[in-house]
Amino acid sequence: MNERLVHLKQAMRAGAHKAYRQDQSIDLLTECEAEGLSWPRRVARLVRRQVEAEQVVILPGENILFTRSLPGVPPVYSEEDWFRLTAGRTLHELGPVSNICADWGLLLSQGLLGRRKVALSTRRRLMHEPQAVEFLDCAIETIDAVLALAARYADQARRLGRADLAAVLEAVPAHPARSFHEALQSLRLCQAVVWLGGNYHVGLGRFDQYMGPYLQADLQAGRLTTGQAEELLAEFFISLNKDSDLYPGVQQGDNGQSLTLGGLQPDGTSAINELTRMVLRVSRDLELIDPKINLRVSSETDLDLLSLASELTRKGLGFPQYSNDDVVIPALVAHGYDQEDARDYVVAACWEFIIPGRGMEVVNIGAVSFPAAVDQAIRSSLAEGRSFDEILKHTCEHIHTQVNALAQAYARLLLPPAPYYSIFMRGCLEQGRDLSQGLKYNNLGIHGACSANAADALAAVKQFVFDDGSLPAGELLAALKADFAGYEALRRHLDEAGPKVGSNDERADGLLVKLFEYFSDACEAYGRMPWGGLLRPGTGSAMYYIWLAKGHAGMREPVIAATADGRLSGEPFSANLAPAPGVRVRGPISTLQSFSKIDYRRICNGGPITMELSDTVFRDPESIRKVAMLVRMFVRLGCQQLQLNSLSVDTLLDARAHPEKHKNLIVRVWGWSGYFCELAPEYQDHIIARTMYQVE
Amino acid sequence: MTSGIVFDIKEFTVHDGPGIRTTVFLKGCPLTCMWCHNPESQSIQPQLISSPLGDRLAGREYESAELAALLNQQADLLRSSEGGVTFSGGEPLMHAEFLVELIDLLDDLHVVLDTCGHASSADFLLVLARTDLVFYDLKLIDPAAHRHYTGVENDLILRNLQLLGETGKPFVIRVPLVPGVTDTDENLAALAAAVRGMPALVEVNLLPYNRAAGSKYRYAGMEFKPDYDETRPVNSNTTIFEQAGLKVRCT
Repeated sequence: MNERLVHLKQAMRAGAHKAYRQDQSIDLLTECEAEGLSWPRRVARLVRRQVEAEQVVILPGENILFTRSLPGVPPVYSEEDWFRLTAGRTLHELGPVSNICADWGLLLSQGLLGRRKVALSTRRRLMHEPQAVEFLDCAIETIDAVLALAARYADQARRLGRADLAAVLEAVPAHPARSFHEALQSLRLCQAVVWLGGNYHVGLGRFDQYMGPYLQADLQAGRLTTGQAEELLAEFFISLNKDSDLYPGVQQGDNGQSLTLGGLQPDGTSAINELTRMVLRVSRDLELIDPKINLRVSSETDLDLLSLASELTRKGLGFPQYSNDDVVIPALVAHGYDQEDARDYVVAACWEFIIPGRGMEVVNIGAVSFPAAVDQAIRSSLAEGRSFDEILKHTCEHIHTQVNALAQAYARLLLPPAPYYSIFMRGCLEQGRDLSQGLKYNNLGIHGACSANAADALAAVKQFVFDDGSLPAGELLAALKADFAGYEALRRHLDEAGPKVGSNDERADGLLVKLFEYFSDACEAYGRMPWGGLLRPGTGSAMYYIWLAKGHAGMREPVIAATADGRLSGEPFSANLAPAPGVRVRGPISTLQSFSKIDYRRICNGGPITMELSDTVFRDPESIRKVAMLVRMFVRLGCQQLQLNSLSVDTLLDARAHPEKHKNLIVRVWGWSGYFCELAPEYQDHIIARTMYQVE
Repeated sequence: MTSGIVFDIKEFTVHDGPGIRTTVFLKGCPLTCMWCHNPESQSIQPQLISSPLGDRLAGREYESAELAALLNQQADLLRSSEGGVTFSGGEPLMHAEFLVELIDLLDDLHVVLDTCGHASSADFLLVLARTDLVFYDLKLIDPAAHRHYTGVENDLILRNLQLLGETGKPFVIRVPLVPGVTDTDENLAALAAAVRGMPALVEVNLLPYNRAAGSKYRYAGMEFKPDYDETRPVNSNTTIFEQAGLKVRCT
């Protein structure tokens, strides 16, 4: 990284650009009310007014422009109207569409004027369909606003003597991109406007696929050297980090700005190109939380690429996250996705598999609480003197009840219109339909949260209460009720001697597999939505590993007290697919073996095996190659997704004590990376406590 | 069927040989190196470790078939990752009979033996015949210093080194650098002289001093009392080995 980039990065981290932030959000409501605008028109007006209110900011030395100056997104309805509008309906999180992925290739290949032409032509064709006309007018309104903003940026660049940048902004996003620089600039501006319009977790999709040809052409024609291209890419990445503090999320950094690399092209050939490697290198050298990087791998992926990816892992940013094409693609096909589309999948905000430009999917809509099902089954069945089979039966029923209740709530899902975002989806402008009315794929995804603890609890009961009979049911129930107060020896026995997920121990793994079977069965039984979408089961946990343990306002799932795996009330659960916190497992190989037993054909919502490796593992190139081999082992075992971290416990403890010394320390939280010192203490503690595979 | 005492099994040990490996740490060692960072490995008996994390029994008895079954669960994965199993300790040759039986039961796995060489030559040769690569630890050439710092004579170790050289089995010499003890130019030169000219020697590894060496003694109910200055930087003079025509690496 050269000095200029170091300076740009430091200035961004120091928040120099925040000096240009405006104090207040714009007021939109007054004009919406005065004009009595419809919902789609309000959203279009929101985008237009936001874009109009943006002040042009060109920082010294910048080549990729756009710095957001507006602090917030104003509401399009008053609270009372919003309440009335959404009464009886289910909203996803804040309401606006989030966590989907555009087909950014549409923007780069057609330009906004090209998209505008499509809208106009459809408008002529559908001129007697008011809803279509309204949608298309809304889309055009936003296009015109963005073009005006680009023109203001171009003017300002010219005034500042940056004719080169002015030329870029005069060409894009209006026209198709002709160079790598234009393509990056076009994407930067148009993606930032999606955020400005209140949509969030705005993914970047298959970046190396839609962006790669522009790089390739410039390199071949000698318009750019590799070094210059890397510099532009680095600047683009820095620009993506400017506005993180303005994005909504459970914790700062949870913003879904992920991109996906590698994998297959729709025709089944390898998609890896020069940009795949360049992104890995630049991200490794920059060490920033955005964009979050996903790498699609398969049994064909060569060790050199995996080694390069492992060099990125070494930086401790918590990415790349690996998805195994050999497993993911068949799972998507089994859930009704066309083969070509399945091969084109990307990873959404955290780990969910979606198809760019073709999915209006809500893949993080909720979670099934495995601990709730298991804990309830254990407590009630043991109290009634029932058998272990009956505990399993009860667990299964509980999971079915949960999924059924979720499905009923989700059937009332209400998606607000998003005319601007629709411009970058396939078919919206072509058919005059807003994306909120559905795209080719309209499925929902739910996480299967905290599975390892739940399986461990079942395994402990089976082992000690039933198989060897060493633990009377009454004693276990009393201990659970007392949160193990006065039962410390029993708690330690459950914790240390019980069979655990993560050690390739069939006694626990078999129960883990069963939990996901019940979950998949339930999704098949109740998951058909009125509009034809499915409920896709997943293996992630999101923030539920904390919420289910400590409670959270508005959470519909119950808080779980002490559990039969020896976990105390209040202690967090396992995140995603990971051994329960604090459990001594045999090691990374056994952990992969444990999680390879899940039937991933039935699981297509993703959720990674999460592993922490000591930073000492990454000491030399030979060891880094071994990390690459570990990734290959994950692929060959038929696991679905993997997320590796490089961590030093000492560093984390020091950061806890002296945050001021570790402002740039980045960690993986659940499906995303953030700055350690910007996390709430309970999330920090969980990261410190997560299983470390200490390798000397 | 024989059994051995294992104090740890670690997976993905990236510094214990080629590829992806699982290392089995056998309990018991004839040496009591003053700098030993695994004090719980010295006694052959299972022993209680009391740390802030609670009490834990270090050392578990395995029958050879049981341990072989455990390791064979991963045989395909280890083989296809250019790796295998490493036997370390303690001193694995204290369980030579067990080791021989165990390796014979392994499913065609690459075996690394990590040894201090202080064992009967008969035991050493038996295990050697079943080993693909040897990590041979050498500390001190001066007999008196060796006795003082490790508690045993080094004649057996040097004799087995000769045997190893004669078998032609590939081996790596590993030297723990201990400040002012093993890292003196004089000792390093003597070590280089002892191993030069052995065709099967792959390389010499100089291992950094482990500053955390003393931390585990208290938990094992033992006392850590180095008579050298731990804080002194070590002398990792590789030129001595290079001048002797040896490949050398600081790891």
